[in-house]
Amino acid sequence: MKFSKFLADKAVTIIISMVTWLIIWDFLSAFHIKSGQIFIIGFVYFLSGLINMLWEYFRRYRFYNDMIFDCDNLEKKYLLSSMTENPDFYEGQLFYEILCETNKSMCDSVAEYRKSSEEFQEYIELWVHEIKLPVASLLLMCHNNPDIDGKYNEQLRRIDDCIENVMYYARSENVKKDYLIKEVSLKRTFSKIALKNREELQQRNVTIKTKNLDVSVMTDSKWLEYIMGQIIANSMKYFSANREPEISIYTTDFTEKTTLHIRDNGIGISASDLPYIFEKSYTGNNGRTHAKSTGMGLYIIKNLCDSLGHDVKADSVQGEFTDISISFGKNNFIKM
Amino acid sequence: MNKIYIVEDDRSIRTELAELLNNAGYETECLTDFSNSLKNILESESDLILLDINIPFINGEMLLRNIRKKTDIPVIMVTSRTSETDEVLSMSYGADDYITKPYNPTILLLRISAVLKRACKDNIKTSYRNLQVNSAKGSLSDGNTEIILTKNEMIIFQLLLDRQGQIVSRNDLMTTLWDNEEYINDNALTVNISRLRTKLSDFGYENAIETRKKQGYILI
Repeated sequence: MKFSKFLADKAVTIIISMVTWLIIWDFLSAFHIKSGQIFIIGFVYFLSGLINMLWEYFRRYRFYNDMIFDCDNLEKKYLLSSMTENPDFYEGQLFYEILCETNKSMCDSVAEYRKSSEEFQEYIELWVHEIKLPVASLLLMCHNNPDIDGKYNEQLRRIDDCIENVMYYARSENVKKDYLIKEVSLKRTFSKIALKNREELQQRNVTIKTKNLDVSVMTDSKWLEYIMGQIIANSMKYFSANREPEISIYTTDFTEKTTLHIRDNGIGISASDLPYIFEKSYTGNNGRTHAKSTGMGLYIIKNLCDSLGHDVKADSVQGEFTDISISFGKNNFIKM
Repeated sequence: MNKIYIVEDDRSIRTELAELLNNAGYETECLTDFSNSLKNILESESDLILLDINIPFINGEMLLRNIRKKTDIPVIMVTSRTSETDEVLSMSYGADDYITKPYNPTILLLRISAVLKRACKDNIKTSYRNLQVNSAKGSLSDGNTEIILTKNEMIIFQLLLDRQGQIVSRNDLMTTLWDNEEYINDNALTVNISRLRTKLSDFGYENAIETRKKQGYILI
Protein backbone atom coordinates (compact mmCIF):
# COMPACT_ATOMS: atom_id res chain seq x y z
CA MET A 1 0.00 0.00 0.00
CA LYS A 2 1.57 3.27 -1.14
CA PHE A 3 1.01 6.58 0.64
CA SER A 4 1.00 8.56 -2.60
CA LYS A 5 -1.72 6.37 -4.06
CA PHE A 6 -3.65 6.63 -0.80
CA LEU A 7 -3.43 10.45 -1.04
CA ALA A 8 -4.52 10.40 -4.66
CA ASP A 9 -7.45 8.29 -3.58
CA LYS A 10 -8.30 10.96 -0.96
CA ALA A 11 -8.08 13.78 -3.54
CA VAL A 12 -11.76 14.70 -3.14
CA THR A 13 -11.47 14.97 0.66
CA ILE A 14 -8.36 17.11 0.29
CA ILE A 15 -9.99 19.41 -2.26
CA ILE A 16 -13.11 19.79 -0.05
CA SER A 17 -10.99 20.71 2.98
CA MET A 18 -9.01 23.21 0.86
CA VAL A 19 -12.22 24.84 -0.36
CA THR A 20 -13.60 24.81 3.21
CA TRP A 21 -10.40 26.52 4.37
CA LEU A 22 -10.73 29.20 1.70
CA ILE A 23 -14.32 29.90 2.83
CA ILE A 24 -13.27 30.03 6.51
CA TRP A 25 -10.36 32.29 5.58
CA ASP A 26 -12.74 34.56 3.71
CA PHE A 27 -15.02 34.78 6.72
CA LEU A 28 -12.15 35.36 9.15
CA SER A 29 -10.79 38.17 6.93
CA ALA A 30 -14.27 39.72 6.69
CA PHE A 31 -14.35 39.90 10.53
CA HIS A 32 -10.93 41.63 10.48
CA ILE A 33 -9.13 38.84 12.36
CA LYS A 34 -5.38 39.38 12.41
CA SER A 35 -3.40 37.36 9.88
CA GLY A 36 -1.28 35.82 12.70
CA GLN A 37 -4.43 34.39 14.32
CA ILE A 38 -5.70 33.19 10.95
CA PHE A 39 -2.36 31.43 10.50
CA ILE A 40 -2.70 29.63 13.85
CA ILE A 41 -6.28 28.56 13.10
CA GLY A 42 -5.12 27.38 9.65
CA PHE A 43 -2.20 25.48 11.19
CA VAL A 44 -4.48 23.66 13.66
CA TYR A 45 -7.00 22.95 10.92
CA PHE A 46 -4.45 21.41 8.55
CA LEU A 47 -2.54 19.61 11.33
CA SER A 48 -5.72 17.86 12.51
CA GLY A 49 -6.50 17.00 8.89
CA LEU A 50 -3.01 15.56 8.38
CA ILE A 51 -3.08 13.56 11.61
CA ASN A 52 -6.47 12.18 10.68
CA MET A 53 -5.15 11.22 7.25
CA LEU A 54 -2.03 9.50 8.65
CA TRP A 55 -4.07 7.62 11.27
CA GLU A 56 -6.44 6.36 8.55
CA TYR A 57 -3.49 5.39 6.38
CA PHE A 58 -1.64 3.40 9.02
CA ARG A 59 -4.70 1.43 10.13
CA ARG A 60 -5.30 0.33 6.57
CA TYR A 61 -1.61 -0.03 5.89
CA ARG A 62 -1.27 -2.76 8.55
CA PHE A 63 -4.34 -4.68 7.43
CA TYR A 64 -3.76 -4.59 3.68
CA ASN A 65 -0.01 -5.00 3.76
CA ASP A 66 -0.28 -8.10 5.94
CA MET A 67 -2.83 -9.43 3.50
CA ILE A 68 -0.68 -8.70 0.42
CA PHE A 69 2.31 -10.29 2.12
CA ASP A 70 0.34 -13.44 3.04
CA CYS A 71 -1.15 -13.66 -0.41
CA ASP A 72 2.29 -13.48 -2.05
CA ASN A 73 3.70 -16.15 0.21
CA LEU A 74 0.80 -18.58 0.24
CA GLU A 75 1.05 -21.48 -2.16
CA LYS A 76 -2.69 -22.00 -1.98
CA LYS A 77 -4.01 -18.45 -2.20
CA TYR A 78 -7.54 -19.45 -1.32
CA LEU A 79 -6.41 -20.00 2.26
CA LEU A 80 -5.94 -16.23 2.63
CA SER A 81 -9.13 -15.66 4.58
CA SER A 82 -8.02 -18.01 7.33
CA MET A 83 -4.67 -16.19 7.56
CA THR A 84 -6.26 -12.74 7.88
CA GLU A 85 -7.42 -11.29 11.21
CA ASN A 86 -10.60 -9.31 11.58
CA PRO A 87 -9.41 -5.63 11.48
CA ASP A 88 -10.47 -2.85 13.88
CA PHE A 89 -12.03 -0.52 11.29
CA TYR A 90 -15.47 -0.74 9.78
CA GLU A 91 -14.68 -0.98 6.05
CA GLY A 92 -12.07 -3.60 6.77
CA GLN A 93 -14.54 -5.61 8.83
CA LEU A 94 -17.05 -5.52 6.00
CA PHE A 95 -14.35 -6.59 3.57
CA TYR A 96 -13.23 -9.36 5.89
CA GLU A 97 -16.76 -10.69 6.24
CA ILE A 98 -17.28 -10.73 2.49
CA LEU A 99 -13.93 -12.50 2.02
CA CYS A 100 -14.96 -15.21 4.49
CA GLU A 101 -18.34 -15.54 2.88
CA THR A 102 -16.99 -16.00 -0.66
CA ASN A 103 -14.36 -18.40 0.59
CA LYS A 104 -16.96 -20.53 2.30
CA SER A 105 -19.08 -20.57 -0.80
CA MET A 106 -16.07 -21.64 -2.88
CA CYS A 107 -15.26 -24.42 -0.40
CA ASP A 108 -18.83 -25.67 -0.62
CA SER A 109 -18.74 -25.62 -4.37
CA VAL A 110 -15.37 -27.44 -4.50
CA ALA A 111 -16.69 -30.02 -2.05
CA GLU A 112 -19.68 -30.55 -4.29
CA TYR A 113 -17.49 -31.16 -7.31
CA ARG A 114 -15.17 -33.41 -5.34
CA LYS A 115 -18.14 -35.42 -4.20
CA SER A 116 -19.58 -35.76 -7.66
CA SER A 117 -16.17 -36.70 -9.06
CA GLU A 118 -15.75 -39.33 -6.35
CA GLU A 119 -19.22 -40.64 -7.05
CA PHE A 120 -18.37 -40.81 -10.71
CA GLN A 121 -15.20 -42.74 -9.98
CA GLU A 122 -17.11 -45.11 -7.72
CA TYR A 123 -19.61 -45.67 -10.48
CA ILE A 124 -16.82 -46.32 -12.99
CA GLU A 125 -15.24 -48.88 -10.64
CA LEU A 126 -18.62 -50.53 -10.18
CA TRP A 127 -19.29 -50.47 -13.89
CA VAL A 128 -15.87 -51.98 -14.59
CA HIS A 129 -16.64 -54.89 -12.26
CA GLU A 130 -19.99 -55.35 -13.95
CA ILE A 131 -18.68 -55.29 -17.49
CA LYS A 132 -15.89 -57.71 -16.64
CA LEU A 133 -18.40 -60.44 -15.87
CA PRO A 134 -19.74 -60.86 -19.42
CA VAL A 135 -16.18 -60.54 -20.77
CA ALA A 136 -14.99 -63.30 -18.41
CA SER A 137 -17.99 -65.36 -19.38
CA LEU A 138 -17.30 -64.92 -23.11
CA LEU A 139 -13.62 -65.81 -22.70
CA LEU A 140 -14.63 -69.05 -20.98
CA MET A 141 -17.19 -69.78 -23.68
CA CYS A 142 -14.53 -69.31 -26.36
CA HIS A 143 -12.19 -71.64 -24.52
CA ASN A 144 -14.88 -74.26 -23.96
CA ASN A 145 -15.96 -74.25 -27.57
CA PRO A 146 -13.20 -75.78 -29.70
CA ASP A 147 -14.80 -74.52 -32.94
CA ILE A 148 -14.18 -70.90 -32.02
CA ASP A 149 -10.75 -69.76 -33.02
CA GLY A 150 -8.38 -67.33 -31.40
CA LYS A 151 -9.58 -64.18 -33.14
CA TYR A 152 -12.54 -63.90 -30.77
CA ASN A 153 -10.22 -64.16 -27.80
CA GLU A 154 -8.09 -61.43 -29.25
CA GLN A 155 -11.05 -59.07 -29.56
CA LEU A 156 -12.19 -59.86 -26.04
CA ARG A 157 -8.74 -59.06 -24.77
CA ARG A 158 -8.92 -55.74 -26.62
CA ILE A 159 -12.20 -54.97 -24.89
CA ASP A 160 -10.62 -55.84 -21.56
CA ASP A 161 -7.69 -53.49 -22.25
CA CYS A 162 -10.09 -50.65 -23.04
CA ILE A 163 -11.96 -51.31 -19.80
CA GLU A 164 -8.72 -51.19 -17.83
CA ASN A 165 -7.84 -47.87 -19.47
CA VAL A 166 -11.10 -46.32 -18.33
CA MET A 167 -10.65 -47.58 -14.80
CA TYR A 168 -7.09 -46.39 -14.40
CA TYR A 169 -7.90 -43.05 -15.98
CA ALA A 170 -10.64 -42.60 -13.39
CA ARG A 171 -8.26 -43.68 -10.64
CA SER A 172 -5.43 -41.44 -11.79
CA GLU A 173 -7.61 -38.34 -12.08
CA ASN A 174 -9.19 -38.70 -8.70
CA VAL A 175 -8.15 -37.04 -5.50
CA LYS A 176 -9.00 -40.17 -3.57
CA LYS A 177 -5.82 -42.23 -3.49
CA ASP A 178 -6.79 -45.86 -3.30
CA TYR A 179 -3.50 -47.62 -3.65
CA LEU A 180 -1.49 -49.74 -1.31
CA ILE A 181 2.28 -49.56 -1.28
CA LYS A 182 4.16 -52.71 -0.45
CA GLU A 183 7.17 -54.68 -1.58
CA VAL A 184 6.59 -55.92 -5.13
CA SER A 185 8.80 -58.24 -7.14
CA LEU A 186 9.50 -56.83 -10.60
CA LYS A 187 10.17 -60.32 -11.90
CA ARG A 188 6.74 -61.58 -10.81
CA THR A 189 4.97 -58.47 -12.06
CA PHE A 190 6.59 -58.66 -15.46
CA SER A 191 5.87 -62.36 -15.75
CA LYS A 192 2.16 -61.66 -15.19
CA ILE A 193 2.16 -59.08 -17.97
CA ALA A 194 4.17 -61.27 -20.31
CA LEU A 195 1.81 -64.17 -19.71
CA LYS A 196 -1.20 -61.98 -20.34
CA ASN A 197 0.22 -60.72 -23.64
CA ARG A 198 1.94 -63.97 -24.61
CA GLU A 199 -0.17 -64.72 -27.65
CA GLU A 200 0.31 -61.32 -29.22
CA LEU A 201 4.02 -61.18 -28.38
CA GLN A 202 4.55 -64.58 -29.98
CA GLN A 203 2.43 -63.85 -33.02
CA ARG A 204 4.65 -60.89 -33.73
CA ASN A 205 7.73 -62.91 -32.91
CA VAL A 206 8.98 -60.52 -30.27
CA THR A 207 12.19 -61.43 -28.51
CA ILE A 208 12.03 -60.65 -24.81
CA LYS A 209 15.21 -60.06 -22.87
CA THR A 210 15.22 -59.66 -19.13
CA LYS A 211 18.17 -58.69 -16.96
CA ASN A 212 18.54 -57.92 -13.23
CA LEU A 213 14.80 -58.20 -12.77
CA ASP A 214 15.09 -60.12 -9.53
CA VAL A 215 14.54 -57.07 -7.34
CA SER A 216 11.73 -55.77 -5.21
CA VAL A 217 10.46 -52.21 -5.21
CA MET A 218 7.98 -50.33 -3.08
CA THR A 219 4.83 -49.77 -5.11
CA ASP A 220 1.23 -50.86 -5.71
CA SER A 221 1.50 -54.07 -7.71
CA LYS A 222 -1.82 -53.63 -9.57
CA TRP A 223 -0.96 -50.12 -10.68
CA LEU A 224 2.53 -51.16 -11.68
CA GLU A 225 1.11 -54.08 -13.65
CA TYR A 226 -1.10 -51.68 -15.55
CA ILE A 227 1.74 -49.19 -16.11
CA MET A 228 4.18 -51.81 -17.41
CA GLY A 229 1.43 -53.41 -19.49
CA GLN A 230 0.69 -50.08 -21.14
CA ILE A 231 4.34 -49.42 -21.92
CA ILE A 232 4.69 -52.84 -23.52
CA ALA A 233 1.43 -52.35 -25.45
CA ASN A 234 2.92 -49.10 -26.75
CA SER A 235 6.10 -50.86 -27.80
CA MET A 236 4.05 -53.41 -29.71
CA LYS A 237 2.17 -50.63 -31.49
CA TYR A 238 5.30 -48.99 -32.83
CA PHE A 239 7.62 -51.79 -33.93
CA SER A 240 9.84 -51.12 -36.88
CA ALA A 241 9.21 -53.07 -40.06
CA ASN A 242 12.93 -53.25 -40.82
CA ARG A 243 14.12 -55.51 -38.02
CA GLU A 244 13.16 -58.31 -35.67
CA PRO A 245 11.17 -56.79 -32.80
CA GLU A 246 12.80 -56.94 -29.41
CA ILE A 247 11.88 -55.68 -25.94
CA SER A 248 14.43 -55.61 -23.14
CA ILE A 249 13.43 -55.18 -19.56
CA TYR A 250 16.17 -54.51 -17.06
CA THR A 251 16.92 -52.59 -13.93
CA THR A 252 19.78 -50.38 -12.89
CA ASP A 253 20.49 -49.99 -9.23
CA PHE A 254 21.53 -46.79 -7.51
CA THR A 255 22.03 -46.12 -3.83
CA GLU A 256 18.84 -44.13 -3.45
CA LYS A 257 16.69 -45.61 -6.21
CA THR A 258 16.06 -48.55 -8.49
CA THR A 259 15.31 -47.77 -12.12
CA LEU A 260 13.32 -50.08 -14.33
CA HIS A 261 13.91 -49.75 -18.07
CA ILE A 262 11.59 -51.00 -20.77
CA ARG A 263 13.40 -50.61 -24.04
CA ASP A 264 12.26 -51.57 -27.51
CA ASN A 265 13.94 -51.38 -30.89
CA GLY A 266 10.88 -49.82 -32.55
CA ILE A 267 10.49 -46.72 -34.66
CA GLY A 268 11.36 -44.40 -31.78
CA ILE A 269 10.07 -40.91 -31.06
CA SER A 270 11.29 -37.80 -32.80
CA ALA A 271 13.27 -35.31 -30.71
CA SER A 272 10.60 -32.67 -31.27
CA ASP A 273 7.84 -34.93 -29.89
CA LEU A 274 9.83 -36.39 -27.01
CA PRO A 275 9.36 -33.58 -24.45
CA TYR A 276 5.57 -33.67 -24.84
CA ILE A 277 4.68 -37.36 -24.94
CA PHE A 278 3.43 -37.42 -21.33
CA GLU A 279 1.02 -34.57 -21.98
CA LYS A 280 -2.69 -35.18 -22.14
CA SER A 281 -4.06 -35.95 -25.60
CA TYR A 282 -0.64 -35.46 -27.23
CA THR A 283 -0.37 -37.85 -30.15
CA GLY A 284 2.69 -36.53 -31.97
CA ASN A 285 3.93 -37.66 -35.32
CA ASN A 286 3.81 -41.41 -34.59
CA GLY A 287 0.19 -41.13 -33.48
CA ARG A 288 -0.71 -39.68 -36.87
CA THR A 289 1.41 -41.76 -39.19
CA HIS A 290 1.40 -45.14 -37.45
CA ALA A 291 -1.01 -46.82 -35.06
CA LYS A 292 -4.09 -44.93 -33.98
CA SER A 293 -3.43 -43.13 -30.75
CA THR A 294 -5.56 -41.35 -28.18
CA GLY A 295 -2.64 -39.65 -26.49
CA MET A 296 -3.98 -40.80 -23.14
CA GLY A 297 -1.84 -43.86 -22.38
CA LEU A 298 1.38 -42.15 -21.36
CA TYR A 299 -0.54 -39.33 -19.69
CA ILE A 300 -2.29 -41.83 -17.42
CA ILE A 301 1.03 -43.56 -16.75
CA LYS A 302 2.62 -40.26 -15.77
CA ASN A 303 -0.31 -39.45 -13.50
CA LEU A 304 -0.22 -42.84 -11.79
CA CYS A 305 3.56 -42.64 -11.36
CA ASP A 306 3.26 -39.15 -9.87
CA SER A 307 0.67 -40.38 -7.38
CA LEU A 308 2.88 -43.29 -6.38
CA GLY A 309 5.94 -41.04 -6.20
CA HIS A 310 7.81 -42.74 -9.05
CA ASP A 311 9.77 -40.83 -11.61
CA VAL A 312 8.94 -41.75 -15.20
CA LYS A 313 11.14 -40.69 -18.11
CA ALA A 314 11.41 -41.37 -21.79
CA ASP A 315 14.52 -41.58 -23.91
CA SER A 316 14.49 -42.26 -27.60
CA VAL A 317 16.34 -41.93 -30.88
CA GLN A 318 14.05 -41.86 -33.88
CA GLY A 319 14.34 -45.00 -35.96
CA GLU A 320 16.40 -46.79 -33.31
CA PHE A 321 14.85 -47.28 -29.92
CA THR A 322 12.48 -46.06 -27.21
CA ASP A 323 13.38 -46.47 -23.56
CA ILE A 324 10.81 -45.71 -20.88
CA SER A 325 12.25 -45.78 -17.39
CA ILE A 326 10.55 -45.73 -14.01
CA SER A 327 12.53 -44.90 -10.90
CA PHE A 328 11.41 -46.30 -7.58
CA GLY A 329 12.68 -44.62 -4.45
CA LYS A 330 14.28 -46.83 -1.85
CA ASN A 331 12.99 -46.29 1.60
CA ASN A 332 14.08 -48.70 4.26
CA PHE A 333 11.69 -47.15 6.69
CA ILE A 334 8.65 -48.29 4.67
CA LYS A 335 10.17 -51.76 4.40
CA MET A 336 10.01 -52.17 8.15
CA MET B 1 -10.07 -87.10 -9.46
CA ASN B 2 -9.96 -83.80 -7.63
CA LYS B 3 -13.19 -82.05 -6.80
CA ILE B 4 -13.47 -78.30 -7.17
CA TYR B 5 -16.17 -76.25 -5.51
CA ILE B 6 -17.28 -73.16 -7.40
CA VAL B 7 -18.63 -70.16 -5.50
CA GLU B 8 -19.73 -67.70 -8.18
CA ASP B 9 -23.01 -65.83 -8.36
CA ASP B 10 -22.96 -65.01 -12.08
CA ARG B 11 -24.78 -67.96 -13.55
CA SER B 12 -23.23 -67.86 -16.99
CA ILE B 13 -19.69 -67.72 -15.62
CA ARG B 14 -20.56 -70.49 -13.20
CA THR B 15 -21.72 -72.93 -15.86
CA GLU B 16 -18.83 -72.08 -18.19
CA LEU B 17 -16.35 -72.47 -15.37
CA ALA B 18 -17.80 -75.84 -14.47
CA GLU B 19 -17.57 -76.93 -18.10
CA LEU B 20 -13.97 -75.74 -18.34
CA LEU B 21 -13.00 -77.66 -15.21
CA ASN B 22 -14.89 -80.78 -16.24
CA ASN B 23 -13.11 -80.76 -19.60
CA ALA B 24 -9.82 -80.46 -17.75
CA GLY B 25 -10.65 -83.56 -15.78
CA TYR B 26 -11.92 -82.17 -12.52
CA GLU B 27 -15.13 -82.98 -10.73
CA THR B 28 -17.12 -79.83 -9.92
CA GLU B 29 -19.87 -78.69 -7.65
CA CYS B 30 -21.45 -75.24 -7.69
CA LEU B 31 -22.92 -73.28 -4.84
CA THR B 32 -26.45 -72.19 -5.72
CA ASP B 33 -27.91 -71.35 -2.33
CA PHE B 34 -25.88 -68.43 -1.08
CA SER B 35 -27.82 -68.00 2.14
CA ASN B 36 -26.02 -70.96 3.63
CA SER B 37 -22.65 -70.67 1.89
CA LEU B 38 -20.39 -71.84 4.69
CA LYS B 39 -22.43 -74.90 5.57
CA ASN B 40 -22.73 -76.01 1.94
CA ILE B 41 -19.02 -75.52 1.28
CA LEU B 42 -17.96 -77.48 4.33
CA GLU B 43 -20.36 -80.32 3.54
CA SER B 44 -19.15 -80.68 -0.05
CA GLU B 45 -15.79 -82.23 0.90
CA SER B 46 -14.01 -80.67 -2.06
CA ASP B 47 -10.28 -80.47 -2.70
CA LEU B 48 -10.26 -76.84 -3.72
CA ILE B 49 -12.61 -73.85 -3.65
CA LEU B 50 -12.85 -71.13 -6.30
CA LEU B 51 -14.28 -68.19 -4.40
CA ASP B 52 -15.68 -64.96 -5.81
CA ILE B 53 -15.55 -61.83 -3.62
CA ASN B 54 -18.83 -60.24 -4.72
CA ILE B 55 -21.38 -62.81 -3.67
CA PRO B 56 -24.82 -62.34 -2.13
CA PHE B 57 -25.38 -62.29 1.63
CA ILE B 58 -21.75 -62.42 2.70
CA ASN B 59 -18.60 -60.89 1.32
CA GLY B 60 -16.20 -63.47 -0.13
CA GLU B 61 -13.38 -62.28 2.11
CA MET B 62 -15.51 -62.79 5.22
CA LEU B 63 -16.58 -66.18 3.94
CA LEU B 64 -12.91 -67.08 3.45
CA ARG B 65 -12.21 -66.13 7.05
CA ASN B 66 -15.02 -68.35 8.25
CA ILE B 67 -13.82 -71.23 6.09
CA ARG B 68 -10.31 -70.83 7.48
CA LYS B 69 -11.63 -71.16 11.03
CA LYS B 70 -12.84 -74.66 10.17
CA THR B 71 -10.51 -76.08 7.54
CA ASP B 72 -7.33 -75.41 5.58
CA ILE B 73 -8.70 -76.57 2.23
CA PRO B 74 -7.02 -74.68 -0.66
CA VAL B 75 -8.92 -71.57 -1.75
CA ILE B 76 -8.34 -69.51 -4.89
CA MET B 77 -10.00 -66.11 -4.92
CA VAL B 78 -11.45 -65.29 -8.33
CA THR B 79 -12.72 -61.76 -8.65
CA SER B 80 -13.26 -58.82 -10.93
CA ARG B 81 -11.98 -56.43 -8.29
CA THR B 82 -8.56 -55.24 -9.27
CA SER B 83 -7.28 -53.50 -6.23
CA GLU B 84 -4.23 -54.27 -4.20
CA THR B 85 -6.22 -53.94 -0.97
CA ASP B 86 -8.55 -56.79 -1.91
CA GLU B 87 -5.65 -59.01 -2.84
CA VAL B 88 -3.67 -58.30 0.32
CA LEU B 89 -6.79 -58.80 2.44
CA SER B 90 -7.61 -62.10 0.75
CA MET B 91 -4.07 -63.40 1.07
CA SER B 92 -3.90 -62.40 4.73
CA TYR B 93 -7.17 -64.25 5.38
CA GLY B 94 -5.51 -67.35 4.02
CA ALA B 95 -6.26 -67.56 0.29
CA ASP B 96 -3.78 -69.71 -1.64
CA ASP B 97 -3.96 -67.63 -4.78
CA TYR B 98 -5.76 -64.60 -6.20
CA ILE B 99 -6.86 -64.30 -9.82
CA THR B 100 -8.65 -61.37 -11.41
CA LYS B 101 -11.41 -61.62 -13.99
CA PRO B 102 -11.42 -61.89 -16.89
CA TYR B 103 -8.83 -64.60 -16.52
CA ASN B 104 -7.10 -66.53 -19.20
CA PRO B 105 -8.59 -70.05 -18.83
CA THR B 106 -5.21 -71.71 -19.42
CA ILE B 107 -3.66 -69.67 -16.63
CA LEU B 108 -6.58 -70.44 -14.32
CA LEU B 109 -6.10 -74.19 -14.88
CA LEU B 110 -2.38 -73.78 -14.34
CA ARG B 111 -2.93 -72.03 -11.02
CA ILE B 112 -5.46 -74.62 -9.90
CA SER B 113 -3.08 -77.47 -10.61
CA ALA B 114 -0.22 -75.61 -8.90
CA VAL B 115 -2.28 -75.01 -5.76
CA LEU B 116 -3.52 -78.61 -5.71
CA LYS B 117 0.04 -79.83 -6.14
CA ARG B 118 1.21 -77.75 -3.22
CA ALA B 119 -1.70 -78.92 -1.06
CA CYS B 120 -1.11 -82.64 -1.54
CA LYS B 121 2.60 -83.11 -1.98
CA ASP B 122 2.38 -86.86 -2.61
CA ASN B 123 0.66 -86.05 -5.92
CA ILE B 124 3.92 -84.93 -7.46
CA LYS B 125 5.36 -87.60 -9.65
CA THR B 126 9.05 -88.04 -9.09
CA SER B 127 9.70 -90.96 -11.35
CA TYR B 128 9.20 -91.88 -14.98
CA ARG B 129 9.44 -95.61 -15.68
CA ASN B 130 12.77 -96.44 -14.04
CA LEU B 131 14.03 -92.87 -14.08
CA GLN B 132 14.28 -90.75 -10.96
CA VAL B 133 13.28 -87.14 -11.56
CA ASN B 134 15.10 -84.68 -9.38
CA SER B 135 13.48 -81.35 -10.10
CA ALA B 136 15.52 -79.44 -7.50
CA LYS B 137 18.73 -80.57 -9.15
CA GLY B 138 17.18 -80.56 -12.62
CA SER B 139 18.33 -84.04 -13.49
CA LEU B 140 17.14 -87.49 -14.59
CA SER B 141 18.92 -90.61 -13.45
CA ASP B 142 18.47 -94.37 -13.84
CA GLY B 143 20.83 -95.21 -11.01
CA ASN B 144 23.91 -95.50 -13.20
CA THR B 145 23.93 -92.39 -15.31
CA GLU B 146 22.61 -88.94 -14.55
CA ILE B 147 21.65 -86.47 -17.25
CA ILE B 148 21.20 -82.79 -16.49
CA LEU B 149 18.18 -81.06 -18.01
CA THR B 150 18.10 -77.32 -18.64
CA LYS B 151 15.48 -75.30 -16.75
CA ASN B 152 13.22 -75.22 -19.82
CA GLU B 153 13.56 -78.92 -20.48
CA MET B 154 12.75 -79.66 -16.85
CA ILE B 155 9.61 -77.49 -16.92
CA ILE B 156 8.44 -79.21 -20.12
CA PHE B 157 9.25 -82.69 -18.83
CA GLN B 158 7.53 -82.06 -15.48
CA LEU B 159 4.33 -80.88 -17.18
CA LEU B 160 4.29 -83.84 -19.56
CA LEU B 161 4.95 -86.18 -16.65
CA ASP B 162 2.16 -84.68 -14.55
CA ARG B 163 -0.23 -85.39 -17.39
CA GLN B 164 1.39 -88.61 -18.54
CA GLY B 165 -0.80 -90.36 -21.09
CA GLN B 166 -2.71 -87.15 -21.89
CA ILE B 167 -2.14 -84.72 -24.70
CA VAL B 168 -0.46 -81.50 -23.59
CA SER B 169 -0.96 -78.67 -26.05
CA ARG B 170 1.85 -76.38 -27.15
CA ASN B 171 -0.26 -73.56 -25.75
CA ASP B 172 -0.20 -75.14 -22.27
CA LEU B 173 3.55 -75.75 -22.51
CA MET B 174 4.15 -72.18 -23.57
CA THR B 175 1.94 -70.77 -20.80
CA THR B 176 3.77 -72.86 -18.20
CA LEU B 177 7.18 -71.80 -19.52
CA TRP B 178 6.24 -68.13 -19.59
CA ASP B 179 4.74 -68.44 -16.12
CA ASN B 180 8.19 -69.60 -15.03
CA GLU B 181 9.76 -66.47 -16.51
CA GLU B 182 11.15 -68.31 -19.54
CA TYR B 183 10.04 -66.11 -22.42
CA ILE B 184 10.90 -68.42 -25.30
CA ASN B 185 9.39 -68.43 -28.78
CA ASP B 186 7.82 -71.16 -30.87
CA ASN B 187 11.05 -72.33 -32.49
CA ALA B 188 12.81 -72.53 -29.15
CA LEU B 189 10.02 -74.75 -27.82
CA THR B 190 10.46 -77.14 -30.74
CA VAL B 191 14.22 -77.17 -30.16
CA ASN B 192 13.74 -77.84 -26.44
CA ILE B 193 11.36 -80.72 -27.11
CA SER B 194 13.76 -82.34 -29.56
CA ARG B 195 16.65 -81.98 -27.09
CA LEU B 196 14.50 -83.53 -24.39
CA ARG B 197 13.75 -86.42 -26.77
CA THR B 198 17.45 -86.95 -27.41
CA LYS B 199 18.18 -87.00 -23.69
CA LEU B 200 15.38 -89.51 -23.06
CA SER B 201 16.60 -91.74 -25.88
CA ASP B 202 20.03 -91.76 -24.21
CA PHE B 203 18.30 -93.75 -21.49
CA GLY B 204 16.80 -95.99 -24.14
CA TYR B 205 13.38 -94.35 -24.20
CA GLU B 206 13.08 -93.57 -27.87
CA ASN B 207 9.77 -92.03 -28.91
CA ALA B 208 8.81 -91.41 -25.27
CA ILE B 209 7.34 -88.09 -26.35
CA GLU B 210 4.93 -88.42 -29.25
CA THR B 211 3.73 -85.56 -31.38
CA ARG B 212 0.01 -85.36 -32.04
CA LYS B 213 -0.53 -83.21 -35.04
CA LYS B 214 -2.26 -79.90 -34.31
CA GLN B 215 -2.93 -81.04 -30.75
CA GLY B 216 0.33 -81.22 -28.89
CA TYR B 217 2.61 -83.73 -27.24
CA ILE B 218 2.04 -86.81 -25.17
CA LEU B 219 4.41 -88.63 -22.85
CA ILE B 220 3.93 -92.34 -23.20
